[in-house]
Amino acid sequence: MRHRFRHADRITRSFRMLSYRFSMSVLLILSCALLLFGRAEAYVFDDARTKTMEFVTPLLDWMSTPVTLFRDWLGNFDDYFDVYEKNRLLRAENTRLKAWKTRALQLEQVTARYKDLLDVQLEPDITYISGRVVSDSGGPFVHTLIINTGRKQGVNEGQAVVDSQGFIGRVVGTGAHAARILLISDLNSRVPVMIEPSQARAVMTGDNTSRPKLEFVSDNAALKTGDRVVTSGAGGMLPPALPIGLAVKMDDGNFRVQPFSDQARVSYVRVLQYEFPKEIAPSTDEAPAAAPNPAVTPLTTTPPPPAPPVSPAPVQTRNPIPPAPPSSAAPSAPPARPQISTGVPVEIRPLAEPDDTGGDEDG
Amino acid sequence: MDRSIARALGAFYQVSIPFVVALFCVLLTMLPLGLSPGIVIAPTFGLMAVFYWGLYRPDLMPPMIVFLVGLFQDLISGGPLGLWALVYLAVYGVVVSQRLFFIGKAFLAIWFGFGVTILIGGMIAWVVSSLYFGALLSPVSVLVQALLSFILYPVAARIFAFVQQQLLVQA
Repeated sequence: MRHRFRHADRITRSFRMLSYRFSMSVLLILSCALLLFGRAEAYVFDDARTKTMEFVTPLLDWMSTPVTLFRDWLGNFDDYFDVYEKNRLLRAENTRLKAWKTRALQLEQVTARYKDLLDVQLEPDITYISGRVVSDSGGPFVHTLIINTGRKQGVNEGQAVVDSQGFIGRVVGTGAHAARILLISDLNSRVPVMIEPSQARAVMTGDNTSRPKLEFVSDNAALKTGDRVVTSGAGGMLPPALPIGLAVKMDDGNFRVQPFSDQARVSYVRVLQYEFPKEIAPSTDEAPAAAPNPAVTPLTTTPPPPAPPVSPAPVQTRNPIPPAPPSSAAPSAPPARPQISTGVPVEIRPLAEPDDTGGDEDG
Repeated sequence: MDRSIARALGAFYQVSIPFVVALFCVLLTMLPLGLSPGIVIAPTFGLMAVFYWGLYRPDLMPPMIVFLVGLFQDLISGGPLGLWALVYLAVYGVVVSQRLFFIGKAFLAIWFGFGVTILIGGMIAWVVSSLYFGALLSPVSVLVQALLSFILYPVAARIFAFVQQQLLVQA
């Protein structure tokens, strides 16, 4: 009898072993298959990712509240220790800043006058939506954040995200009340930047380290450690002139960016609501009608504001703006071009003169 | 009839506890803890859970659960889908195969075993993601993550043991 039991026990055990081995191999193969498939067709799982993010964000929101509070408190705690030193530094800085303030006010006046004189189309106001960071990716391979505001609050994919110190990344996925932010340190992050004061252009490339690389620098010789790196706005994806960090020369002669913000300690972020110049279908038949400037057509990546159709020609296929009164639409057209600093090529100026009432500059 | 339902419910409860604990651990990893300045690196609490339950109660954490936990982490982190599922399964396989060696050993030995296991897991993750992204990733952050996890394992193990004693019927 006992012998039979033992026999049965052995059978069960070997059966269990077999089923364990079987499920292990099936699942391991499945994981590899998922990896391969996800590598080839990444978008397939986007929906599942968004759903999961939407599902867990309330949980993470709830769980991260004490964490955020604790971290803020810890930050304050740090401050207690160097309160005197910091106070002294702040006083000194304040004195310096007061001088700068006077200067800034003067310059503001001057700029305002020049703007009036030049009839510059002002850049649109940037508004923002605040969100709290409820999750970071936690892993060494992916650098994303999840915030607790989403589509319902007006967060959309592609929008720039800043914290109190500067640009940290952009929105890559949105749920109803959650959004995923791709940080500038992520391997997949590419940001067109400009380095001040040399105004060299570069692409800031993340490589999963805390300091993204500067690649394709237009003028490497002009760079030096300590130069400010800002978004250039090239490509029409991000608003120009958002501060990112300082350029740092590495031992190998290449430059990296030391970001202003410590992205491991970001608690609150702002998603910038920036109205971009709407894209005009780069059709050639529009060019002679709107602006007789051939230099404009290749610049589809930084498109000028929608030139209202002089004739009701059916060219604006991709422009959702209603073709309102053609002549007077220009001043009220909301999407102005980002006319900050030197980021915008000068060639687009003729196109950006849509009001046919003026035209004294073009002749 | 009633008894069989009760037994089924009991079995479900028994399996669900480690699963829920592991999912909670994954969420904990995802919280913005800010443990390492400059770059986001959190200890892999999920791996600790897989290691612990794989070691003490593999009957309550079958491979399917391990896979689901890994998949959950992949979906939230936004990384390559299947990466953590693969790593967790590999770690689980290592632990289960070395179970008999570990059982009955002092905690220090188990802690050391965890250190070795997490290095193996980190290495797999590093190789797989390097292949996935087609770039040689910096292994430093992987090592930092392994180190953080190693340091925190005793605390996690204590909590898992508490859960095991309070909520589960001993096998």
